[in-house]
Amino acid sequence: MSDAPGEQQPPKRVYAPDFLTELFRNPLDPGYADAAARKLRDGEPTGPRKRMSTGVLAITLVALGFLLVVAYQQTVADEPARTTARAELVEQVQKRRDTTVELQGRADQLADEVAALRARELGGAAARKLRDAEAATGLAPVRGSGAKITVADGPTPINPVTGERNTVARVKDSDLQLATNVLWSLGAEAIAINGQRLTATSTIRQAGEAILVDLRPVTTPYEVMAIGPDDLAKDFQAGYAGRFFDQLAAKYGMSFDARTASDLHLEAATELKLRVAEPAAPVTVNSGPAGPSSTSSEGGR
Amino acid sequence: MIAVLALIAGVVLGIVFHPTVPPELQPYLPIAVVAALDAVFGGVRAKLDGIFDDKQFVVSFISNVLVAGLIVYLGDQLGVGTQLSTGVVVVLGVRIFGNVAAIRRHLFRA
Repeated sequence: MSDAPGEQQPPKRVYAPDFLTELFRNPLDPGYADAAARKLRDGEPTGPRKRMSTGVLAITLVALGFLLVVAYQQTVADEPARTTARAELVEQVQKRRDTTVELQGRADQLADEVAALRARELGGAAARKLRDAEAATGLAPVRGSGAKITVADGPTPINPVTGERNTVARVKDSDLQLATNVLWSLGAEAIAINGQRLTATSTIRQAGEAILVDLRPVTTPYEVMAIGPDDLAKDFQAGYAGRFFDQLAAKYGMSFDARTASDLHLEAATELKLRVAEPAAPVTVNSGPAGPSSTSSEGGR
Repeated sequence: MIAVLALIAGVVLGIVFHPTVPPELQPYLPIAVVAALDAVFGGVRAKLDGIFDDKQFVVSFISNVLVAGLIVYLGDQLGVGTQLSTGVVVVLGVRIFGNVAAIRRHLFRA
């Protein structure tokens, strides 16, 4: 390609604005045409040059075959590696989950121990006050009578034409928010959704198809248990929320049920971060560091 | 004839030696294959056109593979590796299609 005299060369290839059109129309390297023209002019190369170029061609083709096989083998070999990695990840997730459960159990146990010790040390009125505060904020398990609201997804038929699932009858995060807010406003003292205790800072959010209560997924049917006045269920049923859910049930086939429950047991909230703490004054020296007096309640909802 | 034998020899070599590709070269393998295929189809078409040239083929093969690898490398460094890979594949794919169409016209007169 380098030994061509200038004047007989075809005009230099210019990349016009419609370079793509050119690319589509003429995919062959112009080099082949150039080489053919040169051959026509100079005659076929002979002797050692011819043999050498054939040799180089053979080597290139060996390399090509090698490349293709290596690429094929690589692609085939990658597949089990990918599945292995996936299986390993699944296993790790499982193991971590088990560890979490274990640690949670231990944390609960230690919390019980702490509570027992505290009750022994403080004694009497102070401990009772603390217990009441904990029960109200969701830090301690509570037991009592109240209401049990059950809402569940209605049927979600698959559209035979588009293959899409019609999810209009699913319970949404806003429905659960409405239920809990109404329960609070009706005087509920403690609420749990599917066993997840709500606190003043709890969140109920939708993430894709799942509803997260304090970042933990809950699934249908949703059981909202509330401890409160005896006519909580009746008030709920009669109020705005009851009518709203009745309408949803009638229109979309969701199930809704509100009934009075006599012996409810609500667990403590799993996670309540201490955000503000100040030392109790005056600091007593003989009984070690003073317990922080928590002021973490952040108003109602 | 020599070409086919050389190709088979390459395949056999690959099967026999079963080399492992170093991980840092793995992203370039598919692009290299596409670039090589472009050169191959260009060569076959030139052969059918009766203008095949050894040197042209060798140079286009090597430069195709190298340039494609270089572009992907550059893209990786710039953080647009996948996009540039797609670009390379599109351009080479268009060329392969064009050349295959020409080969088809030669073989089937259609």
